[in-house]
Amino acid sequence: MGMDRERRTEPTPLRPVEFHILLSLAAGERHGYGIIQDAEARGETLDVGTLYRALARMTEQGFIGASARRPAADTGDERRNYYRITPRGLRVAQAEARRVAALADAARSCGLLKGATT
Amino acid sequence: MNDARWLGISERWFRLLVRFYPPDFRDEMGESFVETYRDRSRAALRQGGVPALVRLWFRALADSIHNGPGERTHPAVRWRRGGNWGRDAQMTLRRMIRAPVFVAAMVGTLTVGLGAFAVVYTVVHKVLIAPLPYERPGDLYFVWRNYEWINFPRGWLGGTDVVDLRKSPLVAGAVGLRWRQATLSGLTGAEPDEFALMITSPELFDLLGVRAALGRTFRPEEVGEGRPGVVVLTDGLWQRLGASSSIVGTDLRIDGTPHTVIGVLPRNFEFARHSSLGPPQTAEAYTTFAYDLAGTDPNGGAFAGLIRARAGTSPAALAEAVAAVGRVIDERTFRSRGLRLYPVGLREDLVAGVRPALLVLGLAGAFLVLVLLVNLATLLLVRAAQREQEFAVARALGANGAALARASLLEAGLLGLLGGAGGALVAAWGTRALVRLAPPDLPRLDNVAVDWQIAATVMAVGAALGLVAGMLPAFWSTRMRLSALLASAAVRGGGGHSRMRRSMVVVQVALSLVLLSTGALIVRSFDRLLRAEPGFDPSGVLTLRVPVPVTRYPNDTVANALHARIQSELAAIPGVEAVGAVSALPLSADADQTTVLFPGAPGNPGDRERDQPLIDYLVTRPGYFEALGIRFLEGRAFPPSLVPGTREAIIDHTVARAFFGSRSPLGARILWNDDSLTIVGVVQQPRLYDVHQDGRGQVFLRNDEYTYNATLSWTLKSGRPPRSLIPEASAAIRRIDPELAISDVQPMEAVVGESLQQQRLSAVLIGGFALGALLLSAMGLFGVVAGSVTRRRHELAVRLALGADHARVLRLVVGEGARLIALGLLVGAPGIYLAGRAIRGVLVGVSPFDPLTLAAVATGLALVALAACYIPARRVAGIDPARSLRQE
Repeated sequence: MGMDRERRTEPTPLRPVEFHILLSLAAGERHGYGIIQDAEARGETLDVGTLYRALARMTEQGFIGASARRPAADTGDERRNYYRITPRGLRVAQAEARRVAALADAARSCGLLKGATT
Repeated sequence: MNDARWLGISERWFRLLVRFYPPDFRDEMGESFVETYRDRSRAALRQGGVPALVRLWFRALADSIHNGPGERTHPAVRWRRGGNWGRDAQMTLRRMIRAPVFVAAMVGTLTVGLGAFAVVYTVVHKVLIAPLPYERPGDLYFVWRNYEWINFPRGWLGGTDVVDLRKSPLVAGAVGLRWRQATLSGLTGAEPDEFALMITSPELFDLLGVRAALGRTFRPEEVGEGRPGVVVLTDGLWQRLGASSSIVGTDLRIDGTPHTVIGVLPRNFEFARHSSLGPPQTAEAYTTFAYDLAGTDPNGGAFAGLIRARAGTSPAALAEAVAAVGRVIDERTFRSRGLRLYPVGLREDLVAGVRPALLVLGLAGAFLVLVLLVNLATLLLVRAAQREQEFAVARALGANGAALARASLLEAGLLGLLGGAGGALVAAWGTRALVRLAPPDLPRLDNVAVDWQIAATVMAVGAALGLVAGMLPAFWSTRMRLSALLASAAVRGGGGHSRMRRSMVVVQVALSLVLLSTGALIVRSFDRLLRAEPGFDPSGVLTLRVPVPVTRYPNDTVANALHARIQSELAAIPGVEAVGAVSALPLSADADQTTVLFPGAPGNPGDRERDQPLIDYLVTRPGYFEALGIRFLEGRAFPPSLVPGTREAIIDHTVARAFFGSRSPLGARILWNDDSLTIVGVVQQPRLYDVHQDGRGQVFLRNDEYTYNATLSWTLKSGRPPRSLIPEASAAIRRIDPELAISDVQPMEAVVGESLQQQRLSAVLIGGFALGALLLSAMGLFGVVAGSVTRRRHELAVRLALGADHARVLRLVVGEGARLIALGLLVGAPGIYLAGRAIRGVLVGVSPFDPLTLAAVATGLALVALAACYIPARRVAGIDPARSLRQE
C-alpha cells in the first residue's frame, strides 16, 4: 500500500500518450478525437487503441474522469465520451511538466538546445 | 465511389478491428473507438484522399494487433483480468452490498453451520482417522486374555505370555507394559510431585519406530534384576523440569530410587497403555522392568501386551497366530479351562470406547449440513425470485442464460467462501472450547485442534455448498422460458420455482425431524444418567490420593501406622464428619480383581470352575462407607479399630443376590486363596464403572488387615464446601511427612461429573445441532409463506373482494404451510427409524423409538413450524382489497 501511494503521488515519468492526454485536458474537456487533434498540433500522432487504453487506465488511476457536461458546440453528437482532468491528474501533469522543463534546462546548459533558460 | 461509401467501408473495417480487444473493453470503449477512427478517416480522406485512408486502415490494423492482445494480457483495469468472470465478480459485489440482509443471512447461516460441522469434523478426524505417529501403525496390536470360564473377556497378559508371543513366526516383536503413579523427588528446590510412569520392556520404542529427540532410548540389555535405573522423559515432563538439554546423564529420584535420565522423547510423541478395564493411560516418563518377564507368575495377569506383526501379515492370520500361542498357554498353565489370547488393532482398541458416540456426532453433523444446504438453496431461490423481473428484463434485452447462471453461481460461491472462512474461525474457537469441555480420557485429545488443512477443507466445503446451493436457482434461471418469465414477472412474482421451494421445505422439515428426535433421545438419555443412583452420595465429599513410596515405608507395619496417622489428622480438621479411604474410588474403574469361593452358598452352580466368581476387591479404611454414604442393606460396617484375627469382609448386593438369594449371607465364609473371611455386612454396590448400571460383584476388606495397596484415595465428608478443605488437608499430610505427594484432589461430585463428560458433550452438541436445524427450517418455512403471501396478493385480494373474510384467507395461507409440514413429518418418519438404529448403542435407559419422546418432538416441531407459517401469513390482514386491485 505504502509503495503504491508513493508511486501515485510521484507517477513521473509518464508515458508520452499520457502526458498528451493531460496536456489536452488541462486546457479543457475533450473527446478522444479532440485529444488526437491536439497531439497532432504538437507534432505527434497518437494511435486510437493506445489512446483508449491509456484513457481507461488513467480513469482507473483517477487522473481523469468522464465528463457529464457537453460543450455547447458538440451537442449534436451524443455518442462521444468527453473527458476532464481531475485535481490529482492536474498535480501529476504539473509534476511531469516540471520534470520535462528541468530536462530541457539541462539540455540547454550543455548546448543541446538553443534558447533562453526558464 | 463517393466518400460516404469509403467511410462506410472504413467503419466496417474498424468494427472488425475492435474484435481484437477483450469484450468488456469493447463494451465500454468500442463505440468511442470506432467514432474516433471515423473522425480520423474523414480527416484523412479530406487531406490525402483514398491512399491516405488506406494508409490509415493499415495503421489501425497495426494499432489493433498491438493494443488488442495487449489489453487482454495487461488490462487497464485490474478487475477485468478475469474477463467475464472478473466483471461478474464486480457486479456480484455491488449486488451484495445492496442486499446486506441477504448476505448476512447467507454468511451467518454458513458460519454457524459450517463452524459446528468443522468442530465435529476436527474431533472425528483427529481421533478416529488421523494416523497414529508410529512406523506402520497398522501392524501394531494389543493382545488380551479372555478367561472364558469366568466370563472375563479382557484381562491383562502374564509376563510369560509376552515371552511366548515373541516366538510366534508372525510376530516381529512384543513388549509388556505396566503403569503406575510414582513420586518424583530429588530435584533441588522442587516439591515432591506425583507423576505417571510407564514400566516397559526396553524394545518399546524400537517397536513403535520412535527415536529420542535428545539422548537415546533403552538398550536391549537395560532390563532385569540389577539393571541400571534408567528413565526416558516425555517432552511434557522435560519442559516441566526446565527444558535443559544438559538433563541427559543427570539423576532423578523416582519413589526414592535414583534413575539416570538417558533421553527425551520428541514433542509430538503420543502413546497410551490400553487397559484391561477403564480408559487408556498415558505416562510422563518411561523406565524398564527391574525383573525378567520370563520369571513372572504365569497365572497372574498384570501386563498390557503390545506386539508388532511382521509386515504384510493380515489381521486374520495374526489373530490365528496369537490364538495358537494362547492354546499352548491354556494347556500348560490353565489346565485347558478356556484361556484365549486375541489381538486388537491399536487404533481400533484406542477409540473403541468413543467410536459410537463420535460416529453419532459425525452423523448429526452431516445432517446439519444437509439442512443447511437446503436452507441456502431456499435463500438463494427467494433471492432469485426477487430478481425475477431483473432477470426477465435482462433476458429480454439479450443477456444469455449462461451469463445469468454464471452470475448466480458466482454469487453463491462467493458467499459460500465467505461463510466457510467464518466457519473456520468459529471452528478454531469452538474446538478450543470443546477440548476444555471434553472428558480427559478422550483418546488423543491433545491432537484435537483446527489446523490449516482443516481450515482449508472447511472453506472449500463452504464454497462447494454455496455452489451446489447456487446451482438450483442458476439452473432454474437458464431453464425458464423467456415468455413465461416475462409473463410471471408482469403479474408480480409467481412461477416455476415455488414448487421447488415448497419441496425444499418438506425436505427440511423431514431432516429436522430426524435430527430433533435424535437430539431429544440423547438428551433424555443423558438426563437418565444424571438421575442415576450410583450407590453412593458424592455431596460434600473431598477426595485426594496419597501415594506411599515403598522405599520410605518398606513394610505393612509402617505403612499402616502412616495411614492411621493420616486418618486421625484428617478427621481433626474442623467440620469434617467422617474420613475413610479406599484402594479404588467409585467410577474410577481402578479396582483389582481376584477369584473367590463362597463354600456352601446356595447360589453356587455346583461346577468347580463357575463356583469361583471373579470379583472386584476393594481395600478400605474404617469410616469409608460412612463418608461416602454407602447404604447397608444388612449387617454392619468394619469397627473403627481392628481386633486382630477377626478377618471380616463386606459384600455388595449383587454378590449377595447371586450366591445367597433370599438367605442372609451374614456369617457366611469367603475363601480367598488360603484365607477364610467372615461376611459381616451387605451394601448397595457403589458403582465402579458406569453410573447407570451395576458392574462386577464387589468384596470389601480392611486395609489394616490386608495391605494389598499402599496407596489409598481418601474421602472426607463435611458440611463445608469440599474445596475449602484442601489447604488444611494438604497441610495435615505435609506435617506427617513433607516428602509425601498429594494428587487428584477434587470433590467427589467432580469425579461423578467427569465420568459423564463424554455423554454431556454429546448431549450438548447434538442438542445444539437439533435446535439449529429447527431454527433453520422455521426460517425456511417463514420465507416460503411470506413469499407466497406476496405472490398471491392479487388472488387473495380478489377472494377478499368477493366476500371471504380475513380469517378464512388466513386459514387458506396457513393451511398451505401446514400441508408442507405434515408432508415433511411423513417423509421424515423412516429417517427416525434409521437414525434410531444408528444411535441405539449410545442410549441409556431410553428406547430409540420411545413413543413419548418422538411424539413430543413431532408435536414441538409442528408447533414451531406452524408459528413460522402464521407470523408471515398475518400479513394478509394488511391486504386492502380495493387498493390492491387498483394497483394491478
